[in-house]
Amino acid sequence: MTALNRETVANRLNAVVGWEGKSRLLVQLAQDLPAFPDAQRIDANRVAGCESRVWLLLDWQDGKLQMAATSDSRVVQGLLALVFACYHGQTAVDVLALDFEGWLTELGLSRFLSASRGSGLRAIVARIRNAALAVSIRPLT
Amino acid sequence: MTILQGIHCPVERADFPLLARNPGLIYFDNAATAQKPACVLDAERAYYETANANVHRAAHRLAVAATEAFEGARATVARFLNATNPDEIVFTRGTTEAINLVAQSWGRAQLRAGDEILLTELDHHANIVPWQLLAQQTGAVIRAVRVLADGTLDLAHFHELLSPRTRLVGCTLASNAIGTMPPVAQIIAAAHAQGAKVLLDAAQAVAHQVVDVQKLGADFCVFSGHKVYGPTGIGALWCRCEILEAMPPWQGGGEMIDQVSFAGSTFAPAPTRFEAGTPPIAQAVGLAAALDWLMAQDRNAIALHENGLRDRLEAGLGAIPGVQVFGTAPDKVPLTAMTFTQAHPYDVAQFLDARDIAVRVGSHCAQPLLAALGVPALLRVSFAAYNTPEEVDRFLAALPEILELLA
Repeated sequence: MTALNRETVANRLNAVVGWEGKSRLLVQLAQDLPAFPDAQRIDANRVAGCESRVWLLLDWQDGKLQMAATSDSRVVQGLLALVFACYHGQTAVDVLALDFEGWLTELGLSRFLSASRGSGLRAIVARIRNAALAVSIRPLT
Repeated sequence: MTILQGIHCPVERADFPLLARNPGLIYFDNAATAQKPACVLDAERAYYETANANVHRAAHRLAVAATEAFEGARATVARFLNATNPDEIVFTRGTTEAINLVAQSWGRAQLRAGDEILLTELDHHANIVPWQLLAQQTGAVIRAVRVLADGTLDLAHFHELLSPRTRLVGCTLASNAIGTMPPVAQIIAAAHAQGAKVLLDAAQAVAHQVVDVQKLGADFCVFSGHKVYGPTGIGALWCRCEILEAMPPWQGGGEMIDQVSFAGSTFAPAPTRFEAGTPPIAQAVGLAAALDWLMAQDRNAIALHENGLRDRLEAGLGAIPGVQVFGTAPDKVPLTAMTFTQAHPYDVAQFLDARDIAVRVGSHCAQPLLAALGVPALLRVSFAAYNTPEEVDRFLAALPEILELLA
């Protein structure tokens, strides 16, 4: 298992060419995502608007985002690993400063952001940013 | 005719500009929308270049040409459906708008609290949600006929639910998700015997078989142009003359009126009464070109070809471990829905896309059907006249490799 951070993930993705190669790597990255608690695979944690099922849990510990996520699709699980690499352990200010779409575009994966909502990635990122906005407006005690 | 491996392909791929530009593309998403032959694109362009004006008004030669083109398109749709009269054809944006029109015009005028609308689990959301809105407005009640595990309609359940309270039966001619063609002749006869009207959703049927509204004998029949090789943004409602004449308007505006004053307005006769505002004229012309093109083809040869592709695919899938086909009804349109024991359909579709094979995945706007079948998502391969046995074989060769990759 490799550590999921932006630099290592970007290096691995940049090392493969072609759509099939990148898709294969996403399937591999899916395995690096920390396990999601089975008991939390409930409708309340589902992200709507994805062709596959996605469950997402967000929490703040010492001002840093704790993220857990899973999908029944391996490709989407791989995309969730990218989201995790970007946002897990970040402060709300850092979350809001991050340009995830720009980063994905640099990695040659922008088609996963298409408005067709196939992967549901936009909805997932929007939910994380909204969570960060909520704690920014209401400072942590 | 192109001859491929000894099997006749009834239409030329080269006649479809998008396919000609993408020689490697295998387009298996035809139930979502079909690619367009050049004659459809040419007809829209020619209309704008030679006849563009607004219809039904203005005393100049272009307006006359535009009106003739638009009303000519209506006559072509009538001929395509074997309607007795072009005035039985209302142009709409597509199937969805046509069903909403029937629900909001006929339905709101006719239905009362306690009346029943009988639908089926095979139906697309477009033939469910407009009736739910109508039910909320009128207090009518919706009942749904179950599907059996093989994807056929539970006819015993249909006869159980059908009663003198049933005012409308809404039924698809073919399921968009799994292809099942329910026995509509039997359904229409039974519904009429109870005094109910019948609406047929022909969206998935028109490209693959002759839809003859006189032979079918229903009361409403709807389809979309873009699924029958025509443009998007245009479709049609066929409605029996005496019903259509009695239906009130549902959208107000120009074109649909007779006299307007602030004291009140009177309305144009059908079908104009249901076409408020400037209609999609160029799209109607494009649709007529698509229907003329299709009617000039050997429809039997196309049906044999497309069903042959489906049978070839399903025979091949039977030899690949871990593939389950959903919908094994004897009467099906040429599409195949499947799931995989080791892989999510979305993932398989992603890897197929990497090989330029386009399929649809998801719930196919048929969530009640997928819930009844107990499956969250399906991968659907759907055929058109330009698909070939080689494309099926390439799909069958790619699939085991992809499944191994995802195992």
